[in-house]
Amino acid sequence: MANSDDLATGLMDDMDPRLLELIQTRINSFIKWDLVRFFHENPHTTDTAANIARYTGRDVRTVEPELMALARDGVLQMDDLSGLRVFTLAGNSEMRELVHVFIKACDDRQFRVKAIYHVIRSLR
Amino acid sequence: METHRIPTGIAGLDEMLHGGFLSQTANLIEGAPGTGKTTLGMQFIQHGIVHCAEPGLILTFEEFPEQYYQDAASFGWDFRAHEAANHLRVIMTSPEVSRADLQQISGRIETMVHQLGLKRVLVDSLSHFERLTTDPVELRQIIFGFVNGLKRLGLTAVLTRENAALLGETSDSEEDLAFVMDSYVVLRYVEIQSAVHKALLVLKLRGSDHDKDIRRYTITGSGIEVRARFEGTRGIMSGTPTMTHAEAFAAAFLPAGSGGKQPVS
Repeated sequence: MANSDDLATGLMDDMDPRLLELIQTRINSFIKWDLVRFFHENPHTTDTAANIARYTGRDVRTVEPELMALARDGVLQMDDLSGLRVFTLAGNSEMRELVHVFIKACDDRQFRVKAIYHVIRSLR
Repeated sequence: METHRIPTGIAGLDEMLHGGFLSQTANLIEGAPGTGKTTLGMQFIQHGIVHCAEPGLILTFEEFPEQYYQDAASFGWDFRAHEAANHLRVIMTSPEVSRADLQQISGRIETMVHQLGLKRVLVDSLSHFERLTTDPVELRQIIFGFVNGLKRLGLTAVLTRENAALLGETSDSEEDLAFVMDSYVVLRYVEIQSAVHKALLVLKLRGSDHDKDIRRYTITGSGIEVRARFEGTRGIMSGTPTMTHAEAFAAAFLPAGSGGKQPVS
């Protein structure tokens, strides 16, 4: 008989497998979630970590490593602009579509609960 | 030779500018908070898209794009639909990044200008460039390079700048900045008989004559409307004008309806 943890995991895994993979491997912190939402709402923004931290109301020391991780994982694009390290939403149309599907899915409370569960698990 | 004009879509202002801004120029709109600088800039963008087939770009250093969509909607302008139709881009960015981008060959802004055929740009606001340096000479050089980058791309730019003083004259540093601009439009609050009005003046229009009147304007549900010039007062731009001698005499000694002009209210 499955234990309660397995049961919860089974219930929480019940979502689009592409989104499950995205949350478990790439948007696996609440700051990354916020940053992805910011870039989804501002798809033409290209800016430095310091300015993005300002736009999102966070500390640059917290935001910069998360931006770099998102860039490493292909969600964002990181470029050197005349000596400035800048970030923008990845130009890859598949990734942009996946991000769009994720943000739209977050409109649903059930989905949000599941996503939060996975983010908390990955933070452990 | 007739110069190509870029109408703002604000009838009274276009009249003062003798048809509009000159093509591929940088035009400074300076005023205190709430005087309608951004509204004027949005109206310029809206008019270009709807009436001149000139797609527009908004570079914002302050507000999120969502704020522009909402503000525009309050005037009946659907900026979200313009973006969806690729007639508009609203980009939240910073002075340092947009400046560096313009300096690049085929930077993001340049690519966007060519891909969408952008003709007009609103930069909101230049005040944020002050974060880059405290040296006024260097600031002027930075802004000069930035506006030249916009002109190089064939854009006609409206750039807003905030004046912290609610009433009164501009500071020396603000006037200094006007030298790098092709036109300089000043928006002011004016107190007349215990009521606050808004005044607009075209201080400069390089390469063209322009009206020198100080005009009253209002912000209505459909945007900015520039009205008649202020009559019977002097010292409007000081923020606290006084009646001219003739108006003061008429107000003091002539009964209402006797033919003497009444003071501006």
